Amino acid sequence: MADEHSKVRILLADEQPLFRDAVKLVLESQPDLKVVAEAQDGLQAVSAAEQHSPDVALIGANLPNCDGIRATYLIRERAPTCRVVILTEEEEEDTLLAAVEAGASGYLTKESPLAELIAAAHTVHRGETVVPSRMLGGLLGRLILRRREKEQALRRAARLSRREREVLALLAEGGDNGSIAQALVISPETARTHIQNVLAKLGVHSRLEAAAFVVQNQILDDLVGVDR
Amino acid sequence: MSISLKEGCPSRRADVWLRQAGEENALYDPRTGSLHLLNHTAFAIWDLCDGQTRPEEMIEAICQLSGHHRDVVAEDVERILGGFDKENLLDWMS
Repeated sequence: MADEHSKVRILLADEQPLFRDAVKLVLESQPDLKVVAEAQDGLQAVSAAEQHSPDVALIGANLPNCDGIRATYLIRERAPTCRVVILTEEEEEDTLLAAVEAGASGYLTKESPLAELIAAAHTVHRGETVVPSRMLGGLLGRLILRRREKEQALRRAARLSRREREVLALLAEGGDNGSIAQALVISPETARTHIQNVLAKLGVHSRLEAAAFVVQNQILDDLVGVDR
Repeated sequence: MSISLKEGCPSRRADVWLRQAGEENALYDPRTGSLHLLNHTAFAIWDLCDGQTRPEEMIEAICQLSGHHRDVVAEDVERILGGFDKENLLDWMS
């Protein structure tokens, strides 16, 4: 029997109490697994991860009040040592990609045998990744596509001056002329000119389109680092 | 271990059949009549051999997903592609 300190500590988040109870019973039948917290929605899951610092979080994808993908992102941000496994109703490539991009280490469907769930908890705790084998090729293909799109977007962003990239970053965060001018200590007219230049250089037609360009290609953090 | 791969993007030879039965995957080469069993990683890499994806991109994606060290992943990918190549299952696109 593993002593309390060597057990893998698990957070279990799912909307359905019956599912949680059943999974908890199975997990705790293992000598080296312990459920230290439960949550029935996404915000509770994030809060429980911060409070209990579990080793592994098993998170339902369709949690109310902050879905499982968003909760995964927040858990990875606020409890970075916690490894997350996303549980979905069925295999969905979009959810798998979103889960991986949010920082999940594992992905299982609720149709999986319980033995796979137990194995997944151990596997991600060892620092490895769990993805259904039949989805692996498609996932890698989409990660490659994402990377190509991001590289292409960064090449477009490299046409902008440093100041214009700062303006674009602020635009993507929802800034208007006034707030951008204030943040960069320039006049609103100058901010407006920079914005017009950004739109023209990126070949987009609106501020919304420019913001979407940044968000969809996930280049916000890279913008200030891009050299001309 | 060092394996040198050809330049360009590997492409599955059009006449090679992929046979799937449950969790098992195998390639059948009608030219030689040979059958090649694939593990999960080899199957995923076979899937990526579309003539447009560079081995380097495969390595980067697997690193991103697994968090493994690049050298380890590169060795695996090169060994698997080298194995396909040795069996003449690939064409290489420039």
